[in-house]
Amino acid sequence: MTMALLPLTALDAVRPPPGGVPAGVARDPLGAGRRRVRNGLLAGLGGVAAAAALAWVLRPGPSRAAGTDDGAPDDGGSTVRAGRRLNRAAALLGASVLADSAVEHYRGSFHNPAMITPLLASGATIAASLHGSLDRRPRAHRFRDATYAAAALTGIAGTAFHLCNVTRRPGGLSWLNLFYGAPIGAPAAIGLAGLLGFAAERVRHGPDGPPSVAGLPAPQVLTVLSAAGILGTVAETALLHFRGAYHNPAMYLPVTIPPAAAAVLLRTLWHDGPGPRRAARLAMRATAGLGLLGTGFHAFGVHRNMGGWGNWRQNILNGPPLPAPPSYTALAFAGLAALALRDEVAGSGREQGDGR
Amino acid sequence: MSDERPGGGDPAEAPRACHGRAPDVFVPGGWVPMREHGEDEPVDFAIVGTGAGGGTLACKLAEAGFSVVAFDAGAYWRPLEDFASDEMEQQKLYWTDDRLCDGELPLKLGANNSGKAVGGSTVHFAMVSLRFRPDWFKSRSRLGYGADWPIDWREMWRYYAEVERALQISGPVTYPWGPKRPRYPRRPHELNAAAQVLAAGAEALGIGWSSTPLATLSSPHGKAPPCVYRGFCVTGCSTNAKQSVLNTWLPRALAAGAEIRDLAMVGRVETDRRGLATGVHYCREGRWRFQRALNVVVAGYAIETPRLLLNSASGLFPDGLANSSGLVGRNLMVQLNQAVWGRMDREVRSYKGPPSLALTEHWNYTDEGKDFHGGYCYMSQGPLPIVWARTLSGRGLWGEALMREMADYNHSVGLKMVGECLPDERNRVTLADETDRYGLRIPRITYGFGDNEKRMIRHALDFMGRALEAAGARGVWEQDDDTCHLNGTARMGEDPATSVVNADCRSWDVPNLWICDGSVFPTVGGVNPSLTIQAVACRTGDRIAALARRGEL
Repeated sequence: MTMALLPLTALDAVRPPPGGVPAGVARDPLGAGRRRVRNGLLAGLGGVAAAAALAWVLRPGPSRAAGTDDGAPDDGGSTVRAGRRLNRAAALLGASVLADSAVEHYRGSFHNPAMITPLLASGATIAASLHGSLDRRPRAHRFRDATYAAAALTGIAGTAFHLCNVTRRPGGLSWLNLFYGAPIGAPAAIGLAGLLGFAAERVRHGPDGPPSVAGLPAPQVLTVLSAAGILGTVAETALLHFRGAYHNPAMYLPVTIPPAAAAVLLRTLWHDGPGPRRAARLAMRATAGLGLLGTGFHAFGVHRNMGGWGNWRQNILNGPPLPAPPSYTALAFAGLAALALRDEVAGSGREQGDGR
Repeated sequence: MSDERPGGGDPAEAPRACHGRAPDVFVPGGWVPMREHGEDEPVDFAIVGTGAGGGTLACKLAEAGFSVVAFDAGAYWRPLEDFASDEMEQQKLYWTDDRLCDGELPLKLGANNSGKAVGGSTVHFAMVSLRFRPDWFKSRSRLGYGADWPIDWREMWRYYAEVERALQISGPVTYPWGPKRPRYPRRPHELNAAAQVLAAGAEALGIGWSSTPLATLSSPHGKAPPCVYRGFCVTGCSTNAKQSVLNTWLPRALAAGAEIRDLAMVGRVETDRRGLATGVHYCREGRWRFQRALNVVVAGYAIETPRLLLNSASGLFPDGLANSSGLVGRNLMVQLNQAVWGRMDREVRSYKGPPSLALTEHWNYTDEGKDFHGGYCYMSQGPLPIVWARTLSGRGLWGEALMREMADYNHSVGLKMVGECLPDERNRVTLADETDRYGLRIPRITYGFGDNEKRMIRHALDFMGRALEAAGARGVWEQDDDTCHLNGTARMGEDPATSVVNADCRSWDVPNLWICDGSVFPTVGGVNPSLTIQAVACRTGDRIAALARRGEL
């Protein structure tokens, strides 16, 4: 999702502080900058490793997974299946954020220590989500809940940071600064991963009856969340592909297919039935495929920069971001999970009705 | 190089465009096929010069179906293999032949006002691609100074758009000044720190600023990659991101059947007893040759164009070709290129990226508060080290003092104007008695500023100085000796008595002689001229095709 490139280091160094006219601020010597980059990378990797270790320690043991605290079947039941699907979508979205923020914030030399945060948050989100996808118990997990909440908060804080970065540049909220400032839409992706995970926990940990999130029916909430996430990603894609002047016609694909798919998905809220759901499932699969195809296109885009793939160390930073398009795949998976959950809720609802 | 095939040697010594092929500028060692024309067979157009005027027109005419041979005294470079990140090496792109400069302000010729290469000075231009303010096309009748152009600005607006599309100009989403224009084909580049200083200064003083429309790609186009912000733009772009005539119009011209002859110095346009041009004498590989042509286009820029016309004097035209008005060589106009410089406490590294990423045209479009005619824009700057050392030595710094200043290179920042000079007949190009290595009389360039220029310089230096200080620079000082660009020695007009060519760039005196470069400008405006030269060339190409259809060539 984060397709914008952060400013070049040299430009960053002289970005005026809030208030407009730049005041003289001594620049750190080059050595300190390099150390910051190294420290940032080490901290990021360390965070991921720590999260993975935590996930391993807290992993659900086979005996506990098989345990049936409240008589749930071994596979955890339909809501647990849906929750695990959502965990997987959150994991994929987290992976996209981890790779993208690692590349982009490395490009920005981690000049602000807070730039490590999305690496830690997305690393932890991946760990929590993998943990969740292995966990068949029909209840939320404190570690996962805490992680997802932290990811959601990171999304909010990151948006504020990025907005601040854009608006304090000369020209304020202008096309130029939207193109080249910190990408405003990008931190939303980690927030979205957190929300998906949070919803996964609620789905699997509901009171008896249809699963709900914050008192609202979970399938509908997840449908809206997935569609909104896709549309937000479309907005960012549109901005950044506009920056690239849509120089390749393929650049129109992610601003046409996913919004149409999101519309088809949302339509099921008003016109429900097997037909609309089949169409929505098809649309989500197309969007998921497009996300993977997008990375291929972006690899081609890297090749079109000076020196092509032979100059990968520069062109991966300068060219179109390779990890960005799969965020569409992750959000489409969430959409598919929402549809499956609705199928299952409807099915169990009928069963319950029959039972009475 | 040890390439045995023709065109494989040193491109500055042996021609490359010959034997049916021309260099492929997009492939190291590559070639593209080139149609060739016999010298005895009159071609439709012999074009002298392949820069912004001649190269563009060669493309337009070839695409319109005319047979075209374009001559250039310079070499046919392949940017990917021939250009170094080295200011000294790249001086091979400048026209540094002998010239005499005198007058109150003897001009410094070379880097920022001439080029000697296939593609002309666009090979090393700063890529700034600005349109004239519409009023400037009628500055005499609307603004009360200079001379009117015989072309309406609305027509020029269309041709500007054509050039902007051809060069895939990267520019702001909306341009703050002037009438509506189509969106630039590519988005603006990111500002470097020097440009951010300009922006901060403009905002502090309450005037508008913009990212600069530049002829360098912000996203890939064809075989050219986007800009990598290497910063050696004005010594020749080695990635092809820069959209010069060399890698835009000329590949199109070749594909359409034009022939380009590199290292071919044209010394004389031949005319017959009827007063018509019959072809050009040119020197290539040490031998003088003659190419017959039905039409001759002179596009050598504002010094070489009048020089060639004056050197082509004949019994019928004793004062030089196309010179019945006596205006060939007169009204030479440079542009004011004064600057203010200062030091920021933080690092700026102004040499990163294209040198002029931000500008303000405020004083081009605002007429209040001026005690002078005309306008100026100013831009952020990114001087390369040798240019910077030379600029500092101009302040009298030398030895240890110069070293100390150079150590502050990364903190230096500046604003530089491009200001309008008024036409003045005393500023002119004539022939000196000395001759060059071809045996051709060299040009004498006489130049001086008038009071208007001096008032504009004072205004601009004061304003830019305030802007730089408002942006946080300290120790601000003025560089008041620089000029750039050359225009106006064969002006176009509506009256044969007061102009050299008409609106179609056609000579009043010799109907099959055309002049198509910056020398036809009646006024220069306060913006870099390359976009306007190319727009005039596009219009000329269309007009020639229209005249041919009507049988009026």
